[in-house]
Amino acid sequence: MAAPMVHFYFQLIAFAFLHQCAGTSPEEFFKSGHTNNWAVLVDTSRFWFNYRHVANVLSIYRSCKRLGIPDSRIILMVADDMACNPRNPRPATVFNNANNQINVYGDDVEVDYRGYEVTVENFIRVLTGRLPPSTPRSKRLLSDEHSNVLVYMTGHGGDGFLKFQDAEEISNVELADAFEQMWQKRRYHEVFFMIDTCQAESMFQKFYSPNILAVASSKVGEDSLSHHVDPSIGVYVIDRYTYYALEFLETVTPGSKKTMGQFLEVCPKYQCISTVAKRTDLFRRDVNKVLLTDFFGSVRNVELLPDSIHLQNATLHTHSEDSSYVKSDKPLNYAQQFPMPV
Amino acid sequence: MPGRRWITTIISLGHAAQTFLITINSKVQHYHLFPKSLGDVLTTYKVKELHLSQTQGLWKHEKWGYPPEDAPPGDELWVWFQPHSGVDQTWADLVNALSGLFCASLNFMDSKSTVQPRWSFRPAGLASEFYSANSRFVRYSTLPREVVCTENLTPWKKLLPCGSKIGLASLLNSVKIYDGFYHSLGVHVRSVCQDTQCLTPATELKQTLTVVYDPTTNKNGKQDWSFQSMFDRTLQSQCPLADTRKIYVDVTTQETLPKFSLSPVPDFVLNQKRSGEERKIAVYQIGNHLSPSSLNLKAMYEEKLTFSNSSLPPVYANRFVTGYGLERGGVTCMIYNTMSSNTTVIFMETVPWFLRVYFSSLRIENDGKEIKPYKINFIPAKDRANPYQMELVFRLFANSVTKITYSFERAFLKWTEYPPDANHGFYVSSAVVSTVLPVASQYTATSQSVSLLEESFSDSSSSFFLRLHTETLLVSLPTPDFSMPYNVICLACTVVAIAFGSLHNLTTRDFTASDPSKRKGLVAKLKSFFKKEKESPENKPDSKEEEIPSQKDKDNSKSEEKDSKKKDGNSET
Repeated sequence: MAAPMVHFYFQLIAFAFLHQCAGTSPEEFFKSGHTNNWAVLVDTSRFWFNYRHVANVLSIYRSCKRLGIPDSRIILMVADDMACNPRNPRPATVFNNANNQINVYGDDVEVDYRGYEVTVENFIRVLTGRLPPSTPRSKRLLSDEHSNVLVYMTGHGGDGFLKFQDAEEISNVELADAFEQMWQKRRYHEVFFMIDTCQAESMFQKFYSPNILAVASSKVGEDSLSHHVDPSIGVYVIDRYTYYALEFLETVTPGSKKTMGQFLEVCPKYQCISTVAKRTDLFRRDVNKVLLTDFFGSVRNVELLPDSIHLQNATLHTHSEDSSYVKSDKPLNYAQQFPMPV
Repeated sequence: MPGRRWITTIISLGHAAQTFLITINSKVQHYHLFPKSLGDVLTTYKVKELHLSQTQGLWKHEKWGYPPEDAPPGDELWVWFQPHSGVDQTWADLVNALSGLFCASLNFMDSKSTVQPRWSFRPAGLASEFYSANSRFVRYSTLPREVVCTENLTPWKKLLPCGSKIGLASLLNSVKIYDGFYHSLGVHVRSVCQDTQCLTPATELKQTLTVVYDPTTNKNGKQDWSFQSMFDRTLQSQCPLADTRKIYVDVTTQETLPKFSLSPVPDFVLNQKRSGEERKIAVYQIGNHLSPSSLNLKAMYEEKLTFSNSSLPPVYANRFVTGYGLERGGVTCMIYNTMSSNTTVIFMETVPWFLRVYFSSLRIENDGKEIKPYKINFIPAKDRANPYQMELVFRLFANSVTKITYSFERAFLKWTEYPPDANHGFYVSSAVVSTVLPVASQYTATSQSVSLLEESFSDSSSSFFLRLHTETLLVSLPTPDFSMPYNVICLACTVVAIAFGSLHNLTTRDFTASDPSKRKGLVAKLKSFFKKEKESPENKPDSKEEEIPSQKDKDNSKSEEKDSKKKDGNSET
């Protein structure tokens, strides 16, 4: 058949190009197998006393951004606003530490789904890509078969479910099916699923799609605990697992060689009190050889194509038909703003 | 270059309100200054005019006069489209695209909260008579609940040609801005004349940011302010792409009480003369003040702040909910006219469908006398489809208060329609009051035909269009107890357990009379209890056969004896 032959031909050319440019050998280029990174970070809790869940997700968001994943590749879902909440004594800031060392909210944050938009339906639609046609790009997960996707969820959970905004729940079966849909539609190369809730292990027990590496902050039957209270706010500011995970991530730089194996060992029982559970059976590679930046950072490897592709600018055509910039023969007038007799 | 101008201004209105007015004037096809992300959205969705405001807080007209751009709390979006068919679908697509662009939940502006105002929101730019009289192409919607935070400021800053790194926009520190009483982001796109002949239109993009601070909370009771205290930064650079880079400070009250002095000294002072009002505006050309060190504009007051009765603006309004209980209620809006002349006003209200308005209860009163409105546009709501839309045109008499009242009935929503925090209540958007003022008293907006603030300083017109927004309302609806299913299950199970358990015991237990002389003492009971525990593994299989008559041999007869002892034990205890 022609297709495999062409494909093979392509690869040869790609190989040839690579040898000539950079210093990367083909083995290194295809080692991790992914060409782009995405992150889907979800906080499912509403109300001021769940401040720590927002701090959790913003800490991971900050780490992802710092290690190179751009905003256009991060889908951040925050169910309630803590930074500009009237109860926040320090507006436009969210701290994950009572010492207020890092403002995880930052100056450059882009929240894609906020408030009432964080629902189970929207979350599953984002993962599976079945969004209405009018959804803007910033709200879509446009991953392909070479994308490594980091999925982080935090909130209140139980055995087999995760609560969304005190109103609805997502079950572990639904979540496993969503990942399977992603696999069938070739929407990921590898997924790293991180969850910080009570009885978090139950959420990944039902996964059955390949190439998923999962870690949870507690086993079934255990509760994940919060770390400490900020007396000036009166609520807990961060959960234990995310606090120690963030401590680890703060030592990682974009060029770091730290492995996922090391990350999975973060927060032993004496620190977390709950047992950190992990699932590596669906993951093909050895976790001790996988770089942390494969999921948290952004890969800049490039696929070279010998052909050039002409892109059509859809809006250019409407411009020429746009009659509003045509010179008129009569002078134009401003509209009368108050149409009634004064 | 023709058709490309960019102005940044910041004005201080003398009561710690700062407004950043950044105006870009260009043709949309040229994206040198005009942001491409917004331009693409405007062309794809055939938008002629777009006005988006994102506000947190309420502008107090009685204390602060009129802002350059009035905005209601929450998000407000009104758009005029190019004439085409299927405007409803285009509107739905546009709000989705804008929600991605501005990180706001604008996609909730669906048909349930969208109206087509007939008289209140005429185009602000160039438009023909025929086009603006037709409300087919306008859509107006608000989200009173929407929060505005750094994630909305970030895309707003990204629309600026110089971004947020240099120029006046570098002063915008989100931590300080969101600490104020009131902050409002605005994006206004309209078509304007390119030159005096006005044969070709150009697109104007005006971005505004209005913030109100309270400087007295920082210092020792004095109203001093400076860039350092307001933004925690000083102005260190200016944007080279801008044509005009100026700062305007209102110094009308500089010589009278409260006295204050500006440092550095302004470049010159302009007189703003508008019908009925004269203001003195100090002007700074940013370029003159950046060297040797950065510009830290300071105002130092000589005395502590004393509160006095400031003069009231010509027209202002208050609105509130009346009534009690969860079945009925009413809304009252008081519009105050402090001028000595009558004026016509257009009052627009959008009420959600679940507050069923009684049109027959609508009354407009002035000093007890009923006023008959000149025109009414009332479109009743359709459940879960359209909101109530009401526009009234009536006369405001001089020096009086006009009261508009109507009553409503609260509807029951379906249980899936309640938001996750249903007990918070439901919001009703601001009412919009539009009028034309004969005097520019406390009026700071730019006039329609100009883009630069400076150009409107010598405005010789005698009519000033004013639009103000009232408060939003928070209304409770009859909300079910969402913990009810759990409670019902507990209660029902308890009742079943007690009823069924008792019946089962009554029907299946066999009661035999006991001999009081055979009653055992406490010690003896304990002994026999421990004895039974030891023998229980042998007894267990037999004890199950209590009810089933078994025709077994001598082994069972022994156990039957033991069983009877056990039964005795049961009936005694």
